[in-house]
Amino acid sequence: MFKFLAKGLLRDRTRSFFPILIIASGVMLTVLVYSWMSGFSVMLIYESARFKTGHVKIVTNAYNELIDQKPYDLGLMNVDDKIETLSSEYPDVHWQPRIYFGGLLDLPDEKGETLSQGEVIGFGVDLFTDSFEHDLLNLEEALTAGSLPTKNGEILISQEIADKLDINIHDVVTIIGSTMYGSMAMDNFTVSGMILFGVQAMDRGAIIVDISDVRSFLDMENSASEILGFLPTYNETKTFEISTAFNETYFDEDDEFSEIMIPLRTQGQMEYLIATLEGYMTSFIFVFIFIMSLVLWNSGLMKGIRLYGEVGVRLAIGESKGHIYRSLIYESILIGIAATIIGTSIGLVFSYLLQYHGINIGSMMKDSQMIMGATMRAQVTPVSYYIGFIPGVIASVIGAMISGVGIYRRNTAQLFKELET
Amino acid sequence: MKKLLIFILILFCTLVFAELPDGNKLLKQIDENMYAKNMISTSQMIVHGRRSSRTMKLRSWTEGDDRSFSEYLAPPRDAGTKMLKLKDKLWIYNPSADRIIQISGHMLRQSMMGSDISYEDMMEENELTEVYSAVTTGEEIFNDVNCWKLELTAIVEDAPYHTKKVWIDKEKLIPLKEERYGKSGKLLKTTEILEVMKIEGRWYPKRMIFKDILKKGKGTEFIIDDIQFDVNIPESRFSKAALRK
Amino acid sequence: MIFKLAYKNIIGAGLRTWLNIFILSLSYFAIIALQGFFVGWQDDASREMKNWYIAGGQYWQESYDPYDPYTLEDSHGPIPEELQKLISKGEAISILISPATIYPEGRMRNIVLKGIDPKQDLIELPTKYLTDPNGEINCIIGSGFADNMNIKEGDFIVLRWRDKNGVYDARDIKVAHIFFTTVISVENNQIWIALDALQEMLNLPGEATIIPVKDELYKMEFSGWQHKDLAFLLLDLTNLIKTKTIGSSIMYVLLLFLAVLAIFDTQILSIFHRRKEMGTLMALGMTRSKIIQMFTLEGVLHAVLAILMGAVYGIPLLNHFQKVGMQLGANAKEWGLSGLDDALYPVYGWKLVLGTVILVLVTITIVSFLPTRKIAKLKPTDALRGKMTK
Repeated sequence: MFKFLAKGLLRDRTRSFFPILIIASGVMLTVLVYSWMSGFSVMLIYESARFKTGHVKIVTNAYNELIDQKPYDLGLMNVDDKIETLSSEYPDVHWQPRIYFGGLLDLPDEKGETLSQGEVIGFGVDLFTDSFEHDLLNLEEALTAGSLPTKNGEILISQEIADKLDINIHDVVTIIGSTMYGSMAMDNFTVSGMILFGVQAMDRGAIIVDISDVRSFLDMENSASEILGFLPTYNETKTFEISTAFNETYFDEDDEFSEIMIPLRTQGQMEYLIATLEGYMTSFIFVFIFIMSLVLWNSGLMKGIRLYGEVGVRLAIGESKGHIYRSLIYESILIGIAATIIGTSIGLVFSYLLQYHGINIGSMMKDSQMIMGATMRAQVTPVSYYIGFIPGVIASVIGAMISGVGIYRRNTAQLFKELET
Repeated sequence: MKKLLIFILILFCTLVFAELPDGNKLLKQIDENMYAKNMISTSQMIVHGRRSSRTMKLRSWTEGDDRSFSEYLAPPRDAGTKMLKLKDKLWIYNPSADRIIQISGHMLRQSMMGSDISYEDMMEENELTEVYSAVTTGEEIFNDVNCWKLELTAIVEDAPYHTKKVWIDKEKLIPLKEERYGKSGKLLKTTEILEVMKIEGRWYPKRMIFKDILKKGKGTEFIIDDIQFDVNIPESRFSKAALRK
Repeated sequence: MIFKLAYKNIIGAGLRTWLNIFILSLSYFAIIALQGFFVGWQDDASREMKNWYIAGGQYWQESYDPYDPYTLEDSHGPIPEELQKLISKGEAISILISPATIYPEGRMRNIVLKGIDPKQDLIELPTKYLTDPNGEINCIIGSGFADNMNIKEGDFIVLRWRDKNGVYDARDIKVAHIFFTTVISVENNQIWIALDALQEMLNLPGEATIIPVKDELYKMEFSGWQHKDLAFLLLDLTNLIKTKTIGSSIMYVLLLFLAVLAIFDTQILSIFHRRKEMGTLMALGMTRSKIIQMFTLEGVLHAVLAILMGAVYGIPLLNHFQKVGMQLGANAKEWGLSGLDDALYPVYGWKLVLGTVILVLVTITIVSFLPTRKIAKLKPTDALRGKMTK
């Protein structure tokens, strides 16, 4: 029977084209909107994890108390051993030490006198061991000029700083800071490239330096401000499990340099941000699917009129009402599934497009303290693959079922009259 | 026992009502004792951090109030760092960057090499009599030494500290303790001399502690290992070129 | 006559029509609701910023740059006489700004110190807390900054500064009040104290750094001072909201697209399905253009009825939104969006409502008309027999 119905659908364009067009576009929009919305919270977590929080973060007790000020002089020591232990304890978590520091960037003229000066925020990240930080910080994409550092002594500076201080690629700049012990630290670095993250908090004054350079610069051998831990994919429950286990072993409230692990969700304002965002997203998606279902339900209803004549003929030649009704429903299921697959595929294509090429929503977050990308991206999740079936199949079939009831109201005696005219 | 008590009481009264020496005169005597036209010294600076303490060695050349030059000799990390002060300007040379940077604005407020002394404090070493007028307010025993207690009030507008309280060793005429106050009377910094030494006929501090009262911590210790007064310092010492040598 | 017919026709179609109308009404509703939120946000945020800080525009001492801490020490000057008159009339206030240092937990931190007249009532900053009966120097700080520094009301904080001659001073100042604001420019890394206290502390009597004025039209030029108008001071906000508005318009463009698609489909179907009816009408003497009008009108009627239906549930709902606002929670500013209160109150102007109605009506008219062009080619004889003229 399905084969027969499918043939009918394929051969009679009017009976398949419009319904499929409408359902497919509806489904496509649902998938797109859903992915777009998921993009919000995934992005919030992603942006926060890569720049700020990791999926979990290890710091010292004393550092944690002043965490907003990122006091690297209270940072972690013996980091290599620590990471080795952690890697064997949690083999699927990737551990990455970071040093954040504030400093002064000074551009000299030919005589070595200061030409221009500006405050910078230094990110000491591991650039050379593997490409983990490259990928995490998306350095290739963030690069606006020049190239990534290939050897010690090379740094990346934010495009905004470069513009402000008039710095060019290959310029040698001096960074002035203070060591972990408060001594003056001063060193020269070659600017190998400029970067633009699209994250205001970073673009205002970030410089990226390999962590080994920062360690010798700040007298922090084998030390770090923080160790960030990254799961293969973010999993909230797991971050809490790992943290609890870790803190039971290593954390001692009375020891100011004992280590504490904090999961992403409980860092700073993340709890509030994620909860509010999720609340709004869920209600928005719910409303959207409801409206979409109405639209597609309506399109199911249209089937009734579209097939009015045909049903008349079929009744006239003696097909039972129940049979016709069932075949109509099957047909709408076929159409619904076909349209949903088409719509979902197109929706996914667009969603993936939006995932890889975000939309830049501007750069106007000067006052913002939060690290949030100026580029909005969609995020395709497993749900994106099936969410379209709710409006696409269920709603449109319900529409067809309601309109199909009309068949039972048709009077056989009048059929021929109707057909005559 | 009773006699002893009466004796102490009488002694105490005499002390209180005894005529106190003129503060400004005392100040001048201190300046004469402490102030040398020029000097070269080798010293240690011990910074007590939250985690550990660090000792730095440095050699300094000073001429009057306006000119000074210092070079860090140890630890290896800081060795070769040099500072030059000419009047109200301060330059710092760092060997690893091979750069001379003028410290100005924001940076002046930072602590020097992690100590309780800021770059701003470095800039302010004037003869006391040039800046303050003093009143002797009494006598006190500080670290088992009989001291005159002086209160200094700024007579110039741009004195960094509006008032100071100074405890002066009655015999050796060196200030054993100094408290620096803001205009509103808040204690900002203290200096205590824990050991003194006699060099070339004058008494000079050997070991002292600087403390920034507003900051948490144990303060910064300063030990003078060697000091020579009134030696000839070539003019070239106080030049930016000397920083790079 | 056509109107009546068209009306009867679409009402006769029952549930289908009502669904179409409902979806269309949702489009109206969504556009007005969403746009209303953005207008409300813009209004709210600019009002908050004006109320809290920028008033009707500001004069900046010429070397003042809020993003450059290096120049702050020298960014002050005597207040021009004309502005002084405004200040005494309460139509302007002078604010003196200076760098200073505080020592939370014994660690040095550079902050910005701002002095303002405690008796001012031009901006909403709760400056009345700055006068202290016991002669303490009182300060007020924003709640976000207070949290960041672990400071509570009634705490004393050590403040150190240098006057214009470089003389050090420090005092314990009392945190008299912690205020909640959505305007980050009055809370980020800054401490407010009384203007005369700060002028005395810095030894800068009669000087100021910025002077907000009440009157938006006041634009006199004074040497050494630059006038910054509202457009400049609100630029960041305006741009931010513009991008957000564009981002969200995607939502209702989608919705409208769906509604349009539904109407279009209905039109095509009904034209196809009602050939005989058209034939009959033509036979009865109705011109083709009349028939086209009738069918177009049927489509448009959806949109008209949608206005009514939208009004039935929309007006109370929108009113409700306006009353309760959209709840954002107490930490709304954590989103980094200046000017967002814990609730956002939408604003619906007649321009917005009228604009939306016209937009939807025009769109629907076009899509209702498009399929009817087929009718123009229709021969009555074919139509009567239920055929479409090719």
